[in-house]
Amino acid sequence: MFRSSTMAPQMSPQEEQEKMLDEALGIVKTQAFQMKRALDSGKLMDGLKNASTMLGELRTSLLSPKSYYELYMAITDELRHLELHLFDEFQKGRKVTDLYELVQYAGNIVPRLYLLITVGLVYIKTNSCLKRDLLRDLVEMCRGVQHPLRGLFLRNYLLQVTRNILPDNPEGAEESEGTVRDAVDFVLMNFAEMNKLWVRMQHQGHSRDKERREREREELKILVGTNLVRLSQLENVNLDLYRKLVLPGILEQVVSCRDAIAQEYLMECIIQVFPDEFHLQTLNAFLESCAQLQPGVNVKNVIISLVDRLATFSQRTESSGGIPNDVKLFDIFSEQVASVIQSRQDMPPEDMVSLEVSLVNLAHKCYADRVDYVDKVLGSTLHIFEKLNVERVSYESAVSRELMRLMKIPVDQYNNIITVLKLQQYAPLLEYFDYRGRKSLAAYVIVNILENDTLIPTPEQVDTILTMVASLISDQPDQPHEEEDPEDFAEEQGLVGRLIHHLKSDVPDQQYLILSAARKHLGAGGNRRIKFTLPPIVFQAYQLAYKYKSLKDQDDMWEKKCQKIFKFCHQTISALMKAELAELPLRLFLQGALAVGRIQFEDYETVAYEFISQAFSIYEDEISDSKAQLAAMTLMVGTFEQLACLSEENAEPVRTQCTLAASKLLKKPDQCRGVATCCHLFWSGKTITGEERHDGKRVLDCLKKGVRIANQCMDSSVQVQLFVELLNHYLYFYEKGNDQVTVQMLNHLISKIHEELPNLETNEETEQISKHFSNTLEHLRNRMESPEADGVSYEGLVL
Amino acid sequence: MFQQSLFGFGQSADIDVVLDGVENRKSADIKTEEGKKERHLLYYDGETVSGKVNITLKKPGSKLEHQGIKIEFIGQIDLFYDRGNHHEFTSLVKDLARPGELMQNTAYGFEFLNVEKPFESYTGSNVRLRYFLRVTIVRRISDIVKEVDIVVHTLSSYPDTNNSIKMEVGIEDCLHIEFEYNKSKYHLKDVIVGKIYFLLVRIKIKHMEIAIIKRETTGSGVSIGPNSYLENETIAKYEIMDGAPVKGESIPIRVFLAGYDLTPTMRDINKKFSVRYYLNLVLMDDEDRRYFKQQEITLWRKGEKSRKGGGTAQSPTMNMPSHLVSGDHIRRDPNVDSDADTTNAPSVESMKREIDSPSEVRSSDAGLDGSSAVQSPLEANPPLLSD
Repeated sequence: MFRSSTMAPQMSPQEEQEKMLDEALGIVKTQAFQMKRALDSGKLMDGLKNASTMLGELRTSLLSPKSYYELYMAITDELRHLELHLFDEFQKGRKVTDLYELVQYAGNIVPRLYLLITVGLVYIKTNSCLKRDLLRDLVEMCRGVQHPLRGLFLRNYLLQVTRNILPDNPEGAEESEGTVRDAVDFVLMNFAEMNKLWVRMQHQGHSRDKERREREREELKILVGTNLVRLSQLENVNLDLYRKLVLPGILEQVVSCRDAIAQEYLMECIIQVFPDEFHLQTLNAFLESCAQLQPGVNVKNVIISLVDRLATFSQRTESSGGIPNDVKLFDIFSEQVASVIQSRQDMPPEDMVSLEVSLVNLAHKCYADRVDYVDKVLGSTLHIFEKLNVERVSYESAVSRELMRLMKIPVDQYNNIITVLKLQQYAPLLEYFDYRGRKSLAAYVIVNILENDTLIPTPEQVDTILTMVASLISDQPDQPHEEEDPEDFAEEQGLVGRLIHHLKSDVPDQQYLILSAARKHLGAGGNRRIKFTLPPIVFQAYQLAYKYKSLKDQDDMWEKKCQKIFKFCHQTISALMKAELAELPLRLFLQGALAVGRIQFEDYETVAYEFISQAFSIYEDEISDSKAQLAAMTLMVGTFEQLACLSEENAEPVRTQCTLAASKLLKKPDQCRGVATCCHLFWSGKTITGEERHDGKRVLDCLKKGVRIANQCMDSSVQVQLFVELLNHYLYFYEKGNDQVTVQMLNHLISKIHEELPNLETNEETEQISKHFSNTLEHLRNRMESPEADGVSYEGLVL
Repeated sequence: MFQQSLFGFGQSADIDVVLDGVENRKSADIKTEEGKKERHLLYYDGETVSGKVNITLKKPGSKLEHQGIKIEFIGQIDLFYDRGNHHEFTSLVKDLARPGELMQNTAYGFEFLNVEKPFESYTGSNVRLRYFLRVTIVRRISDIVKEVDIVVHTLSSYPDTNNSIKMEVGIEDCLHIEFEYNKSKYHLKDVIVGKIYFLLVRIKIKHMEIAIIKRETTGSGVSIGPNSYLENETIAKYEIMDGAPVKGESIPIRVFLAGYDLTPTMRDINKKFSVRYYLNLVLMDDEDRRYFKQQEITLWRKGEKSRKGGGTAQSPTMNMPSHLVSGDHIRRDPNVDSDADTTNAPSVESMKREIDSPSEVRSSDAGLDGSSAVQSPLEANPPLLSD
């Protein structure tokens, strides 16, 4: 009942590990101490016995790789003493006969082999002609330890202690201690055995421990990789030897071990430890092996890693020649990647695409000017999709993500969409994306164009680009039914609108063709889109017309061309009207009229009149909201006031029509304000010769009509407001020198306002009105006190 | 001293035998029945045994009456369970003096010329084969006797045929291995070099060892019978593999014999006993089941001279180990599917599991697990070896 073991709290596995490790380290410490004491007092046999006992701790199966490593480090550290002692003895000439044999009597294999290696090392150091044979013997004898963990550490010890004594003489040299070839054989064999042990760990124990095992293997991989590091450190491993012996040896083991973890790590290792110059000359062998790796191996990562390294190498050594000319880097990779993809039917499509991504990167980094290489990669990607019978790449999928990377690289790298257009396979490949994918890439392309201010100078290119971004231009068959977020939609269409300003050629005729081509695409965009996309076209067209005007001396046909342009615009704006838009076409027509007025090509008055009348019809037929009507009216008056292209025959109806329309507005205040605005048509409105009309009587008629309408207002607050506004109108024309407007009229209005204003309720609105009024009076007071030199007289004005 | 204390009482003379050439002759260890080591002069077959017998009178001046003095050269086999009988296979007598009186200390020379010594001295668990000289002063009441042991080694010449031992063994569908020892006959300072190929591994092997087993049989006809005894002793237990190999692996074997307490193989010595040696390959699986295969090897004693000569010729440097693995050792291609050839090979012998034949392994079992039985030069302390 009181046994301490039952009372003691259960130890966690970690605590247990620590406890076992501590115990083992304790024994190591004791034995090491006794070993050193025995050696110091010349008792070699006793010392060896202590060493053997100490090494016996490495026979444990209970420690985790981490703990075992600690134990191993402690023990091999102590073995250094033994080695140094033996070395000293040998140096002094006190040779212990048959020591190499003696240590082999140790009954247990693990301590025996550690001792054998230690003694063997001393033999080699004191007599280098034993080197070749002893190395071979040691590496062979280590086969006796087949337990993965113990075997790995034992062989690591072998590799560590021999690191400075491996024969590294040129191949073929008559050296009794051996040549680099012996060193390579030695390390390769050790490597093969270690790798086998490491791989074997995977298959031992319960399947539920798989994760833990893989973690442990991960911790141990460096032991295996050290072999490759050692090979790379041999100075006399030249390209020839590497190609004929080293690499084939490594690859054979890597391929034949059929273990994904090992293969992935070791391929990566090869890439990292050996020089790029070697890689360049052995690409085929390496890549062919890639095709033979296990299904679980992420070959993609391996190849990408190699590509990245070589690409970096190419850039780093650019000044000193870069990639040698005889190495057809891209062709080799291209072929080998194709064959890897071919041979690995199980490879996920996204990995295939990401291999192509790495190829594109390679092409960019090493052969920046070879657009055809990039095109070739895109072509093989297309080919992959064809072979896999891919119809659509769904936006959410991994393939889509990789494909997106692939497609964005040329855009980002060239930063010039014109170069991207040279890629014949770009557009066909783009078609594989689903709607969202295409749209996303389209937006990406457009943003690139905008940011780099790239201009698209031919109608053909315009055609291609707009086809490429078709998902933003018009409805697509595979488009989802639900409505998009209106804000996102507006943003996308805004991009398209901005794009149109980049469809530009310096040659006007060309520009016309560009606009026609664009118009064709954009016209298919449906009502939702054209309000964003057609106006820029129209404005571009107006710009073009101005350009023809400026070139009229060089182009005899300019007037005809302008006619054509305005016809084009008319049609385009009409398309907007058909889309049941009102204000927008109205404005565009008015803008067009202004342009016509300024350009004044042949028969321009007819065209301008047509534009104006179109605007009027829109006003009459399409705009029903009274506020919108007033706004439209204001716009029209503003436009007509500017217009100087109409003969009296056409101008008079326009003015009359305007005034009439203003007085027909529904609400009295609107009528009043509309009519007042129309005054300007008669005063500063232009004649065909461009002079201001200054028809004072018609101005006064309008003003009076305004006062009349204001008087009819029931709401006294609005009425006063209108009076104040009218006062300002009167004042404006008075100051402009319209002699029809008199001081009496002003006085009359002022006194009327004075009369009415106090009757209003005190509120915010009233306050505004009286402020407006007092400001007006203030203005008048200023004028009276300090009149302008040639200003009108304010005599008799009563404030 | 021992003899003197036993016979000293009332003894009137001491006998001392001095063999010729003591200074130059080699000596060798041999165990006594009690297991203590003794060291005696070493003789080979056909060598003359000669020397002097010194008789020292205890009381100077007194006289010693005797019926004659003789010296015998005796080779005999003693069976421990049959103490009454000594089986002499050699017995030569020389008279040193006729009956008479000894007046003073006297020395007698003797010589057994070119004596045949057909067998090797041996002390086992149930039998001893010894050579000794016996001097007897025959007296009326009690003889004065002195015995002096010598050790005899039998030398063999290099065997004419010395094939390797190669064998495929297995447990059906679980384990097939092929092992190879480079020779079937080893001299006592030899090295066993071999290899084990794993052709099929479906059990989880924990480790593998080679044991050297000495089997001593004694009794009439040397066959097992009511009056015969069989003793197995594990001379060495040597781990050759740690962990579980997979198909295709090969494991080197290298066992140095010089460090172990071995004798030449003795077959049917004077129809009284045999001593044979076996290599026992033992596999242990992770449930501690043991599988083994025994293979007899012949041990022989090699002349010292030739060994020295060969040694210096082979290693002009210092301690060039002569047993290193050669570069051209056979390697199995791990990718070759060796299941096929094993199934086609009917000659696979089955390995035994311990439990299958309890009688045979009874004693070897004790040796394997009892840590005290096995000692190597390096691991003199038993705890070193125990698992």
